Amino acid sequence: MEANNDVALDIIITNVVSVFRTRCHLNLRTIALEGSNVIYKPEVGKVLMKLRKPRITASIWSSGKIICTGATSEEEAKLGARRLARCLQKLGFKVKFTAFKVVNVLAVCTMPFHIHLIQFTKNNRPIASYEPELHPAASYRIKNLKATVQVFSTGSITVTGPNVRHVAMAVEQIYPLLFECKSTMR
Amino acid sequence: MMGSGRKCPDCGSSNVVEDDLYSQPQLVCTDCGSVVSEGQLTTTRSEEVQGTIVRYSQSTAVDKQPCRNQIKGLKRVRALCRILRLPPVIEETSESLFAQAYESTDFLHVSLPKKETLAGCCVLLGCRMQGWPVTMGTVTSLLDTDSCLMGTVYKMVVSTLKLESPHTNIMDLMEGHCREYHLSPPGVPEEFCESADRLASRASALVELASDTWLMTGRHPVPVMVASVYLAWLSLKPSPARLKLSLGRFCQMAKVAVPGPASKRVTELKEVLCRLGQELPWQKGAVVSPQKVAALVGDVLKHRISLLKRAIRSHEDALAMDSVSGTEGLDVANTPSSTLPLSLCTDGVAPICEDLPIGSSPCSEGQPDFHQSQLPTPHAEGCQTVQSVRDSEDVVVTATGSAKNPEARGEPARGSAEHWGKRHPFVPPCARNPSKKPRLAETGPEVTGDEEISDSEIEGYLRTPLEMREFAETQMKLQSDSY
Repeated sequence: MEANNDVALDIIITNVVSVFRTRCHLNLRTIALEGSNVIYKPEVGKVLMKLRKPRITASIWSSGKIICTGATSEEEAKLGARRLARCLQKLGFKVKFTAFKVVNVLAVCTMPFHIHLIQFTKNNRPIASYEPELHPAASYRIKNLKATVQVFSTGSITVTGPNVRHVAMAVEQIYPLLFECKSTMR
Repeated sequence: MMGSGRKCPDCGSSNVVEDDLYSQPQLVCTDCGSVVSEGQLTTTRSEEVQGTIVRYSQSTAVDKQPCRNQIKGLKRVRALCRILRLPPVIEETSESLFAQAYESTDFLHVSLPKKETLAGCCVLLGCRMQGWPVTMGTVTSLLDTDSCLMGTVYKMVVSTLKLESPHTNIMDLMEGHCREYHLSPPGVPEEFCESADRLASRASALVELASDTWLMTGRHPVPVMVASVYLAWLSLKPSPARLKLSLGRFCQMAKVAVPGPASKRVTELKEVLCRLGQELPWQKGAVVSPQKVAALVGDVLKHRISLLKRAIRSHEDALAMDSVSGTEGLDVANTPSSTLPLSLCTDGVAPICEDLPIGSSPCSEGQPDFHQSQLPTPHAEGCQTVQSVRDSEDVVVTATGSAKNPEARGEPARGSAEHWGKRHPFVPPCARNPSKKPRLAETGPEVTGDEEISDSEIEGYLRTPLEMREFAETQMKLQSDSY
């Protein structure tokens, strides 16, 4: 449908999750003692470290695997991860920044119209599923993009995918399907 | 005790009796104690009560008998069908679904509560496929399980068996739901009694109104049903005694559980009814208060289609007046002259008469769908709001999070978000009262990810030696205090 060319949709990325490895063992107690902005969780076996700029929370395991969450773009995630690795280096660990990968991107987008979820589910069975008794949104899984779109009746959608490009493609793919089931225009 | 007529080979006595050693039958001579003969030590699987050494899943029997849990599950399915008084067709469907699901690999190493819930999910799926109205809540309470677990297992079953799960028609649910209410003479005062049929028809009309005005989509059906039954009960005899009774006390009297969101739904429905009540000719535009709306419900439901159209028209007139007076910078030309928030029935549009009798649903019973009112739509198709023409590339650009013209895009977005809920009279409540600020793409610094990181940036995350010492001392003190 040409609707894509006529309408500008703001896809707002709210969260980017990334992982990387330091290829060395990390002593969590040292990090908890010598780092500020850290929360030590011995029962789970990890340390939470929060960076201010970019606003990122990192879960650090003693094996050297680190998960960073809270970034709003892939570049920011990489910068934050590198800052963190540098921080750990300063604390005295022989850190190598390796195997950085963005694993999940969460974005929201608002359509300029309401969506009739029952009709949307009917048109797109069995890929779409809607159970009002369980969740207010209809969920649509795009297998080839490995993305999941949750469609709310107010026109808001949340998209999760492995990277930003897939998320944008998912929105492009789902827009015509939503357009068919719209009921009013803004 | 002369069990068998055998002679003992050792001593020659004929006092040979049957004396089993655990599971092994034996013939023993009572005089000398020798064992004359003994039977088979092992028994067949069906005779064994204790477990076998080899696990069922590892047994290599060609023709496997169903395992114990499967048999129990099938019994549970049958019991549920009998409790719910389902027709034999549904019972057979549920049993076959259960057998298929149980034997699939997805349910092989699943925990026992999940297997128990599987029985209920198969019954629910069978009912849905045959169009029998049953809510998930009913099955959950019958199984006495967690609703989250129920939801998980239900989704697993649907995806494993690759079936489509049709939606339950809420109108079918309504009748059964109304019969649960204890509103007959013995336990309830005369003033509050009501017949289930009248209640069902009035409540069904209210549910149709709710679905027309965006109060149903995405919401759990049960609170809406409870709210509509309460309002129907109030409106069928709006005496002061009835009006004094709140939702909670009504449900207590009728011996029905109050779902959490039900009171919110009552408020929302009353709001819609007030707005429509205002349009009644004999109200002459006077504002209707929620307390007094119960008396008008009957009339509103009788003429609901025309009242909805009138409400939309008067809302647009009010907006046009506001924009002319210049308080809001809306482009009047862009607002559709009569946008109807009501959807079309997918079977096509039929011209409708104004005074639709309450309770008659144009959609056939077989359609598993919420009732959608059919309206003539010469206007809706004619007006399309003119959207700003932009490249499709814009979609990708904004996705990277670094908006090129944040202010330019932000202003109209904020502006349209403010007017979005106000442009149409009947929108989902969350769109009408956007309490949160509209989300805008944050204009973070242009980052490439590969920039140099200076030492000064990192200093802030490290403690100074003094801080470290103090921290360590404090920790030691706290530990020693705790001992």
